[in-house]
Amino acid sequence: MRTGGGPGRLLVAVYGVFALAAGARAAVQIATRFDEAPVAYLLSALAAAVYVLATVALALGGRASRRIAVAACSVELAGVLVIGTFSLADAEAFPDETVWSGYGRGYGFVPLVLPVAGLVWLWRTGRKGTRTPA
Amino acid sequence: MTEPLATVIIVAALVIAGYGLLAALRDRPMDRLHLAGLTVVEALLLAQAVLGLVKVAGDEGPAETATFVGYLLGILLIPPAGAGWGLLERSRWGPAVIVVAGLAVAVMTVRMNQIWSGTVA
Repeated sequence: MRTGGGPGRLLVAVYGVFALAAGARAAVQIATRFDEAPVAYLLSALAAAVYVLATVALALGGRASRRIAVAACSVELAGVLVIGTFSLADAEAFPDETVWSGYGRGYGFVPLVLPVAGLVWLWRTGRKGTRTPA
Repeated sequence: MTEPLATVIIVAALVIAGYGLLAALRDRPMDRLHLAGLTVVEALLLAQAVLGLVKVAGDEGPAETATFVGYLLGILLIPPAGAGWGLLERSRWGPAVIVVAGLAVAVMTVRMNQIWSGTVA
């Protein structure tokens, strides 16, 4: 089953919004005040790149895209958990918010839910190919 | 920032999101009213972008000028992207995309208001 159709279309739409949000935020941070928190801003840029990758891979949904999407969603999940934990434990290393700070609380915790939803969707659509569609 | 216009945009975006939700719940694909609604929202956003840029150029802008301009222009991408992506899907998930687009425009407009008044970095 294609990953970009049906409910997947909604998933890709939300991913697209986050790709835009994270990308614009990282661009502004790096362009205007990179010196203040280079690590946090580079992570912002990485997060944005991963969102863009996940959006495109889920939208295309071929065999290679599926692998890329799994990797992107996994990196995202790891990112939001690791950066979320670090940002709470060592607030000074993250003086400015990123999409992954505080497990994505600045974005209604959607960054925490999104990779899980993406992986579940990839898993379900992957299995549907061998079964009769529900 | 022009607050009455921002309020109109938020209301219009929420109405179109609500109308998208209605279609999604009734298992209908996108129709012309969804497209018309998104077109209206996009026109309002364009007006806001022009007014906002004029104000920023006239030294009336917020401290976070770059962020504000980023929102001002970035938000313009949402309605056309939502319309295009939703139209490709002839099922209930088309209007579901419109719900996301409407909510995103509303949330971004609220954020822009906060940036303008300096209540959020």
